[in-house]
Amino acid sequence: MFKAIYMILAIVVIAAYATASWFGWEFANAGSNSRLGMPFIYNGFHGGK
Amino acid sequence: MTTLKAQCPSCAAPIEFKAGSSIVIICPFCRSAVARTDRGVEDLGKVAEIMDSESPLRVGLKGAWNNVNFELTGRAQLKHELGGYWDEWYATFSNGWVGWLAEAQGRFYLTFFQPLKDVTLPTFDGLQLGQTVPEIPSKTPLMVQEKGTASYVAAEGEIPYKLVPNEKESYADLAGKDNAFATIDYSSQPPWVFSGSQVTLAEIGLGDAKPAQREARHVGSDVVRCPNCGGPLSLTAPDKSERVTCPNCDSLLDVNQGNLTYLKALTPPPSEPVFVAPIGAEGVFPDGAKYKIIGAMQRSVTIEGETYYWYEYLLYNPSQGFRWLVHSDNHWNFVEPVNPADVENSQFYGKGAVVKYKGKAFKIFQNAIARVEYVKGEFYWRVEQGEQVQAVDYVAPPEMLSLEMTSNEMNWSLGTYMPNEQVEKIFGVTALPRPWGIAPNQPFTGSFYYTWGLLPVLAFLAIAIVMLPLRGIPRTTLSQQIQLPAAPSENAPQAAFSQPFQIRANGNVKISASAPVNNSWVDVDVDLINDQSQEVESVNVPIEYYSGVEDGDSWSEGGQDQDATLSSLPAGQYTLKVEGTWQNWQQPMPVTVKVEQNVNRGVNFCCAGILLLIVPILGIFRKWSFEASRWKDSMFSGGSSGGGSDDSDDE
Repeated sequence: MFKAIYMILAIVVIAAYATASWFGWEFANAGSNSRLGMPFIYNGFHGGK
Repeated sequence: MTTLKAQCPSCAAPIEFKAGSSIVIICPFCRSAVARTDRGVEDLGKVAEIMDSESPLRVGLKGAWNNVNFELTGRAQLKHELGGYWDEWYATFSNGWVGWLAEAQGRFYLTFFQPLKDVTLPTFDGLQLGQTVPEIPSKTPLMVQEKGTASYVAAEGEIPYKLVPNEKESYADLAGKDNAFATIDYSSQPPWVFSGSQVTLAEIGLGDAKPAQREARHVGSDVVRCPNCGGPLSLTAPDKSERVTCPNCDSLLDVNQGNLTYLKALTPPPSEPVFVAPIGAEGVFPDGAKYKIIGAMQRSVTIEGETYYWYEYLLYNPSQGFRWLVHSDNHWNFVEPVNPADVENSQFYGKGAVVKYKGKAFKIFQNAIARVEYVKGEFYWRVEQGEQVQAVDYVAPPEMLSLEMTSNEMNWSLGTYMPNEQVEKIFGVTALPRPWGIAPNQPFTGSFYYTWGLLPVLAFLAIAIVMLPLRGIPRTTLSQQIQLPAAPSENAPQAAFSQPFQIRANGNVKISASAPVNNSWVDVDVDLINDQSQEVESVNVPIEYYSGVEDGDSWSEGGQDQDATLSSLPAGQYTLKVEGTWQNWQQPMPVTVKVEQNVNRGVNFCCAGILLLIVPILGIFRKWSFEASRWKDSMFSGGSSGGGSDDSDDE
């Protein structure tokens, strides 16, 4: 049971990594201006300041 | 010698020596052992009637070994000095050979007389348990397994040597690898050697008929009366049992061919025994045979002043012989006998000792005196309360190799760990007490998470390597110095625009800004403006750099460069709006901005890698903790950790 859950979660993580790599998404910003870069968390375009 | 017809010198009944090799025949009428001599026949005395054992063999049975036919022409029953009986069958082969087929505890050993010339064998007293006897030719070294004295108590048929009833003989049994077996008979000088091997009934052409009969045989019980209290008690293996306890008066009784004699009352043990499995319970065990619990005992070891107790149940199956079910701290083990010659033992029983069995290394776990505290049911040896043996345990989970030594016998056995659920299934019960602690040979069941569970990590690494070229190489799309004019006041931001540049889809965007600040700061807001849609992505890039000398040591803080990275943006033409406030607002501020795409930052890689490694690392920690718990109960805990290939994946 736990094995199956672990494997499913692992596949989800790998899939997320591959998808992010392909589409150029950033999980997180490592600089001092850190901001989550996942498009569904932060959609970026606000129409100006 | 040839066939001889004569009259029994005791009862005058007609007797016939059919086999040319026969020396003695047992008169079927008066049970006299009659030997043929040069002058006729000689009465050697009477033998007892053959005790009805559950042997599948009988005189007259025909088999074949190495393509040579034989017939079982005689049988003798021997009694061990410490109790217990075994059968020796005499096989007369069609080519004139005579074989000895010994049967003990469900095992069979076929041996032949082996003449030795110019060889001096060790004396009986000089033989040491565990020593090899290279004087006996054999493919594998033969190791002394048992020394003892036995007497012939019963016989039937024709015997190929001069069997004298009740005559005692000293013997030594030796065993070697690949079922090699030999016996040294010290009743004659020089001693006779019989060598051969342990065989199955199938290997000697008796496998077809006999196992079927034996399987059909029910493990029944004979009800007898206790000679002390008159209460009823049952004997499951009356032909093999040497001791039985009375459940009515708690007496220990001697069993002699099914006849009971009162020995003594059992003394209450220091720790009240709790036998979880009842005498008489039956079940099919991992070797596929159905066993019945016929006896149980509480045993103990005392280590550093503390006494530990456990329980052992004697299992019996007529065709398989005896096995043990060991119950300790509510952990269970199924224990089978092991050929001592198959164990590579350095005879060192201290810290770090390792023995090998079937290519597997077992680490020493315990070496202590084991004591019998209490017994219940029937046993195939003369068990006594207080009986002690040197017990050495070696572990290679899920197996435990145990050596029990007395002055004249050494026995190896192999225990296999059984989860509670398996024991419950065997006996058809539920809710057995849950085990506590870690058993010496309990397998760790979580190895999946750091073995096969690492497969996702490997897959992840492979994908990461593949994605590197697929994402493309990093490229700079804009690098420009922008001059922010002097501000009218301290908090009045100044802005400037970059030249237009192209952003491609599916590539992250790194915006770097650098300014020649020194012990000052500039706070830069960068707006990434899509020229077509006028949508804006904003990032803040504060730059500050301070340095100096304090107590002779130079120091610095911050830097003149700063960056921020964004997820991919829609492809198109973009312009940067750079807006800033800075400490020296009275002076213009040159800011160099750079926009790059497809930058390999490694953040995604690290995040995913950490997520994927959490479970394997926890698994390794759990394994370490498990092994530490296992070995803290060992006398040799320094040999801990590792655990070898002991893991299973049952979770």
